[in-house]
Amino acid sequence: MTNSWTDIGVSDCILIMGSNAAENHPVAMKWVLRAQEKGGKIISVDPRFTRTSAKADIYAPMRSGGDIAFLGGMIKYILDKDIFFKDYVIHYTNAPFIVSDKFDFKDGLFTGYNPEKRAYDKATWVFDRDDKGIPVKDMTLQHPRCVFQLMKKFYARYDLDTVSSLTGTSKADLIKVYETFAATGKPDKVGTMLYAMGWTQHTTGTQIVRVASMIQMLLGNVGMAGGGVNALRGESNVQGITDQALLFHILPGYMPAVNAAFDNLEKYNATTPKAVDPMSVNWWANRPKYIASLLKSFYGENGTKENDFGYSWLPKIDVGQNASWLFMFDKMFNGDFSGFVCMGMNPACSGPNSEKTRKAMAKLDWLVDIDLFENETSSFWKGPGMDPKKIKTEVFLLPAAMSIEKEGSITDSGRVGQWRNKAGEPLGDSKADGQIVHELYTKVKELYAKEGGAFPDPILKLKWDYAKDGKVDFHAVAKEINGYFTEDIAEHPIDKKAYKKGTQVPNFVFLLADGRTSCGNWLYSGSYPEAGNMMARRNRTPVASCNIFPQWGWAWPLNRRIIYNRASVDLNGNPWDPKRAVIKWDGTRWVGDVPDNAVPPMGLPNGRYPFIMRPDGVGSFFGVGMADGPFPEHYEPLECPIEKNPLSSQRINPAIPLFKGELDKYTTCDPKFPFVATTYRLTEHWQTGLMTRYQPWLVEAEPQMYVELSLELAKLRGIKNGERITIASPRGKMWAKAMVTNRIKPFNIAGQTVHLVGLSWHYGWLVPKDGGDSANILTPSIGDANTMIPEYKVFLVNILKEERPKVEKKPEPKPAPKAEAKPAPKPEAKPEPKPAPKAETKK
Amino acid sequence: MKITRRSFLKISGATAAGTVMGGLGFDFSPVESYAQELRIKGAKETTTVCCYCSVGCGIIVHTDAKGKVINTEGDPDHPTSEGALCAKGMSLYQLINNKDRLTKVLYRAPNSTKWEEKSWDWALTEMAKRIKKSRDASFTEKNDKGQVVNRTNGIAGIGSCHVNNEEGWLYQKFLRALGLVYIEMEARL
Amino acid sequence: MAEGKSFFVDTTKCTACRGCQVACKQWNQRPGEKTYNQGSHQNPPDLSSNTWKVVRFSEAVGEKLNWYFFPDQCRHCVSPPCKDVAEGKAKGAVIQDDKTGAVIFNPKVKIKAEDFKEVKESCPYNIPRISGAGVMAKCTMCFDRIKEGLLPACVKACPTGTMHFGDRKAMLEMANKRLAEVKGVYKNATLTDPDDVRVIFLLIDDPKKYHKTAVAENTIGITRKMALKRILKPLKDFQWIG
Repeated sequence: MTNSWTDIGVSDCILIMGSNAAENHPVAMKWVLRAQEKGGKIISVDPRFTRTSAKADIYAPMRSGGDIAFLGGMIKYILDKDIFFKDYVIHYTNAPFIVSDKFDFKDGLFTGYNPEKRAYDKATWVFDRDDKGIPVKDMTLQHPRCVFQLMKKFYARYDLDTVSSLTGTSKADLIKVYETFAATGKPDKVGTMLYAMGWTQHTTGTQIVRVASMIQMLLGNVGMAGGGVNALRGESNVQGITDQALLFHILPGYMPAVNAAFDNLEKYNATTPKAVDPMSVNWWANRPKYIASLLKSFYGENGTKENDFGYSWLPKIDVGQNASWLFMFDKMFNGDFSGFVCMGMNPACSGPNSEKTRKAMAKLDWLVDIDLFENETSSFWKGPGMDPKKIKTEVFLLPAAMSIEKEGSITDSGRVGQWRNKAGEPLGDSKADGQIVHELYTKVKELYAKEGGAFPDPILKLKWDYAKDGKVDFHAVAKEINGYFTEDIAEHPIDKKAYKKGTQVPNFVFLLADGRTSCGNWLYSGSYPEAGNMMARRNRTPVASCNIFPQWGWAWPLNRRIIYNRASVDLNGNPWDPKRAVIKWDGTRWVGDVPDNAVPPMGLPNGRYPFIMRPDGVGSFFGVGMADGPFPEHYEPLECPIEKNPLSSQRINPAIPLFKGELDKYTTCDPKFPFVATTYRLTEHWQTGLMTRYQPWLVEAEPQMYVELSLELAKLRGIKNGERITIASPRGKMWAKAMVTNRIKPFNIAGQTVHLVGLSWHYGWLVPKDGGDSANILTPSIGDANTMIPEYKVFLVNILKEERPKVEKKPEPKPAPKAEAKPAPKPEAKPEPKPAPKAETKK
Repeated sequence: MKITRRSFLKISGATAAGTVMGGLGFDFSPVESYAQELRIKGAKETTTVCCYCSVGCGIIVHTDAKGKVINTEGDPDHPTSEGALCAKGMSLYQLINNKDRLTKVLYRAPNSTKWEEKSWDWALTEMAKRIKKSRDASFTEKNDKGQVVNRTNGIAGIGSCHVNNEEGWLYQKFLRALGLVYIEMEARL
Repeated sequence: MAEGKSFFVDTTKCTACRGCQVACKQWNQRPGEKTYNQGSHQNPPDLSSNTWKVVRFSEAVGEKLNWYFFPDQCRHCVSPPCKDVAEGKAKGAVIQDDKTGAVIFNPKVKIKAEDFKEVKESCPYNIPRISGAGVMAKCTMCFDRIKEGLLPACVKACPTGTMHFGDRKAMLEMANKRLAEVKGVYKNATLTDPDDVRVIFLLIDDPKKYHKTAVAENTIGITRKMALKRILKPLKDFQWIG
């Protein structure tokens, strides 16, 4: 999230799209509804009418996969009506930049496309620059090749008729949403966007987020309290663990992974982003300090200037190698891994195309699984369709302690790190995950110390001094992440003060590139300085104007609660909207939230542009770093119900890699699989359900796998509410309970009726016994062009009355036809006093 | 009046001293036979943050004198959640006190149809051997182009957004020290 | 009786997160029930001796599609008919606290199945349930919590500002103020039986669209509403009791 949870409460308009906040972030709705109470409007755009839609002022149904068309149409609406925030767009974005005359876009393809590689050469996606290298601009936004005009031309194709026919949203609903949200383009109005996996889990996911960000920049909503582009992240610490870089393509703090072309630190540092415009802060110019400090935190005293602080001990990917999830499991399926370590995840249910994932694990020699419960991954060898006697994989299932049985910090979606205290001892033989890692590392190290082996240095030279009497001290690790001085410093270049060896660095501004500082993650530097553990703070004094709580926990970076906040003020540092001030320049310094850099506002002497992480210092309408084009364009999902993309002859995203293994089956416009399916989460379960399917209170509320479908589709297939049905895709088939509902309606897409069904995500064959299996049995192995996040949100299925009805242990009562359309179940029909199972009896 | 945890503590303390009944306007007479002692009275309170979604709601864990968790409920002092919790957050108690939690190391031998209970010491020793064997067999100093890569091609590692930052940081350091490049987690899904 | 306590349940804010439903189970340590998906998100399908609070889900098709959520529970009637009826069947099985007005089923007093039937039928909201052991059960107003000045578990858990609890006067004021605000948008908005009960719901549509007994209604010949309103005369079959 660019913003915090609490400042949503001061917003004028909240567009919830690609998110179902009421069901997946229920407590966040506290702030959404507070905004509504003060007159703010809630807009819900979703293929289904959800619990979020039930609270919205405007609900607009949209076909899953129509997001770029829907939002591209909003850009056209804003530009046609000329209601964008001009001062903001001219000064704080690249709208005035002139794009190279070599750049073009025709029939769904940008210049530089290579169909064999399914990839772009981006050489023409560049700006014209002057002899100093500074981009040429037209501040009037009139130049035909300026970003603004190119954008206008690009989205001119997204007229209401086209968008309505692509999305299935009525023109009236489109206009209502556009009008309401675009009203926040005034300086004293602000709108926010809340999204989640409804945007990211598409083959065009990254570009959906981009088109949304473009709207927010057009309306001047980025950096504002009650504004921003807010990813409501799915897990308690997915933000933190992303920051800590448990991902192939980054190192802690979003530094790029080391690849084979950078065989020494100097070459790695040569890729540091450079700014030519003196008005650009270009914060990433500090990266050499962060990588040197990271290496010190890895190798301690073994990392010296002479050996590049141990740089060569880091593993390197090949140039262009993609080691992300889908590729990982593709390789595993091909037998390329002998071992697999799985901590707190359940890929047998969470990865797409479950059959491929589950069969891939049977190719392993060994699997280490660390979890609270037995799960479908640890026990894949006894799952459906598996013959344990034929599966060689050894499995070590290690009992993990749960969150209250250990201490440490987690980072919420608003980037706030909060410290969790230990309330009890780990159950039985279970241990904290970090303790298990420590013990495993210690054993491996002993083995290498004793026996030698392949390239033992990275293991033997690793700095690992976090345990006392064999127990990991998580404060010591937190301090390592914050960073400290590795030598006495007589006069620090930043503040000319002296610092003692071993003392904590105050924050990342004090990090150095010469090995005199160590820091495990520069973004977290400042979380545990000499003053103590900032993440454990519990002072709830707010900054009232923007409803943020700067002394509760600690937010990265530097405890900033609203990032890009220097875009919330005018060129002289005065808030665009004084009643919602985030920061203000008082003539000598910033007051309010921690500013996005202390330098003066750009209109004053020595002032700087507001977007400090961008080399050009401004927000990007024209995104040169994207794999699939500098402007977001609508393409159909991999599996789509229409023959032709009405916007171009490129049906699917031209830059997505396709897998071609024996189990990678896809289809499109297939009468065998005529319906669009989408998957989603709900309040009562979580992710693959491992931490909810064992809890009777939650299983009671949502006991079984279901599929939501419209009355029309139910009629078409002769399906009754509450009965078991079969749902099939090219990848597999499964049973689910039919939930026939008014909350889904057929869509009219490009002149044809498209039925959509919705599947919950959370079930698995292991528990509860009659709960059903994972919806990922049906989903395809295909990912977004930029992130490779799988397209869980759109694929094709068929649904039928159950082929081979299985008898559940206790015979179920006959389901009530359309229970929900009637006011409620009929309790009178339940003869009492009798024990609980009778609660099922309904007429 | 909004009852925050601070005022609750005050009330509880006063109740224990037997002075507050009149002040609160309660007496037990009609329901005396029913009224029970507040089951969290005197319990130790520890603050935590919910382990499910990313809203980061505050939770208070009540433990009895033996250290057993007897209650979990929202932390009213928390600025985001203000004491509230959804169905999942409210179920934390049942995640802690759950008969199905793993309490032993389990091992499944090749081609076996069952789990066996094992000691940590055995498991750590055996896992370390497997890791070393896979690493030594697949370690690549140079790629096809002759570039130094120093990586382990034969092991993949995933997880986990459920663990604390400190644990995740240690885990990535461990995996990278082993030479893994196939490192992924939930953010990719 | 003193003014006592009341709940105000503003359903315009309810998102059916079911924090309240689980909070009730958690605080009162009630087990989960075996349920099945029967084509609705509502589960358990109804109240039971182990489920004292259940969020009811109802789709209402009209000019605009609505999905109504109704966190059902005992209304803690100002003059509880269940108490009057039970008094003649199993003395002390239903008790009412003078100060708060909480209506409580005493777990220490058992009741016969046929007697329970009458207690149940006297309830205008169809709340009473009984366990296999013959003990009646329902919401206790979290009496153990409120006597210590704590909020009932369901109210404390509510994230959205749906559930409120406090002095009856304040709750009525809050309810009427919110009703007036909401009336501007929803002309059918009502409060459910505010004079008679201590759990007052704000609804924006016909109460029947939320739940059959969202407001007191007719079930067994006499209307439940009447049962609620009427001062019950001693019935023949329990006249012999003191």
